Amino acid sequence: MNTAVLRDVSVTFGSKIVLEGVSLALHAGEFVSLVGASGSGKTTLINAIAGFVGYSGQIQVPQDIGVVFQDYSVFPWMTVANNIGFGLTDMHSAERQAIIDQHLEMIELVRERDRYPPELSGGQMQRVGIARALAPNPRLVMMDEPFASLDRHTRDRMQTWLLRLWGEHQSTILFVTHDLDEAIFLSDRLLVLTGKGECQSFPVPFRRPRQEEIQFDPDFVELKRVVLAAMKGDTVVMSSRS
Amino acid sequence: MLTRSQSVLPVLLLLATWELLSRSGAADPVLFPPFSKAILALVDMARSGDLARDIISSYSRMAAGLVLGSVVAIGLGVLTGRIRRIGAFVSPIVHVLRPLPPVAIIPLIIVWLGIGESAKIFSIAFAVFFPVWLNTHAGAAQVPRKLLWSASTLSRSRSRLLFQIILPAALPFIAAGLRLGISLAFVMVFVSELAGASQGIGYQIATSHLAYRIDRMIAALMVLGVAGAGTDLLFTFVLYRSCPWLRLLEAK
Repeated sequence: MNTAVLRDVSVTFGSKIVLEGVSLALHAGEFVSLVGASGSGKTTLINAIAGFVGYSGQIQVPQDIGVVFQDYSVFPWMTVANNIGFGLTDMHSAERQAIIDQHLEMIELVRERDRYPPELSGGQMQRVGIARALAPNPRLVMMDEPFASLDRHTRDRMQTWLLRLWGEHQSTILFVTHDLDEAIFLSDRLLVLTGKGECQSFPVPFRRPRQEEIQFDPDFVELKRVVLAAMKGDTVVMSSRS
Repeated sequence: MLTRSQSVLPVLLLLATWELLSRSGAADPVLFPPFSKAILALVDMARSGDLARDIISSYSRMAAGLVLGSVVAIGLGVLTGRIRRIGAFVSPIVHVLRPLPPVAIIPLIIVWLGIGESAKIFSIAFAVFFPVWLNTHAGAAQVPRKLLWSASTLSRSRSRLLFQIILPAALPFIAAGLRLGISLAFVMVFVSELAGASQGIGYQIATSHLAYRIDRMIAALMVLGVAGAGTDLLFTFVLYRSCPWLRLLEAK
């Protein structure tokens, strides 16, 4: 079953064509990373799917979606708990509190529940932003380079937290990143946006849970090579291993 | 950071020089009574009940004008800052009225509304309106798009978007406008009480002037100065107490 289907989607800003004729489908519960060179329209595609910018073509998405941006991911005037609870409406207060508590535990910020975002580190803020987007259990969550401004170590830990949260929710995730290692480690499938409207799909052949060591696996290196070539617009064939 | 003694010392020095100049005859003590005489006049005003009556009277006018002017300004500022069409329609009108010195419209207000309370409150509200509107407009217009986008995926309620996202995001600007508004309200409460009032700090200064009681004039001026500074301090205290995140954001 598909969570989102895009047919021939184009976006123009004035006379500039930012996206041209993109078609793709996201299957229920899968983790898909969207990669592509700078300016290939990754962010614009997310903004079009979320309905933030106008587009031509057809986009079928569920009503309940969540988004996480690289910056402005949290509301600085709300405590950590209130940020996570912002999207939890139409439910009893006890139920809301239980969901907030559960997410605070998952992102290991129980002690920070009454703190304000300016008191948190960049990594802690992004954890709150991701928990807030996932807490209402939306069918589709889109993340636009959420870890781009974090250091390598924090980024590795964030990936573990993200997979833990996703494991609980099983929302479909569309994750934009320019880091191919991150994309392969996290995803079921990579989508490469080439900027010519083409959107090539590459399945990731590793079972979950994944260990960091997979980055030394020949299949990992080969997939990275092929995806990099696709990002440059070259025609590539994956070498088969017996 | 100045220590307490370092900040008190210049004030004490000023008061001592004032006292000496007046007592030594270097300055005419009738036109320039010593500080101690102004304090005695203040004690006298406090004992007779005039001081409390005048303070209450001026503060109620100021509060009424401040609330009226601010509420209208914040409401309109959000509309003009967020909705481009309304902004394009209203902004030129407000910008034409803005350079008018608020004091200059008092004669017109007296013609329209008389010399009663409503005229005084309206003239204070008029002065307060412009800085608060201008700052709210700027604050509402600069709310980051991504904050609004994130919020709109989590809640479809427009009132939540207004009260929980737009207004808090614009609050640092609105607070700056309100502080300017408070200082203007003090100017206007004084000016509006110079004529057509029977109580208030401005009235006290006007009547002391007619009676040539310079000591009382100075005493009333000191009350006005302390009240202005005190109100500003109280405003920032309440603001930071109720919105602790503001100080954290400023510290970042």
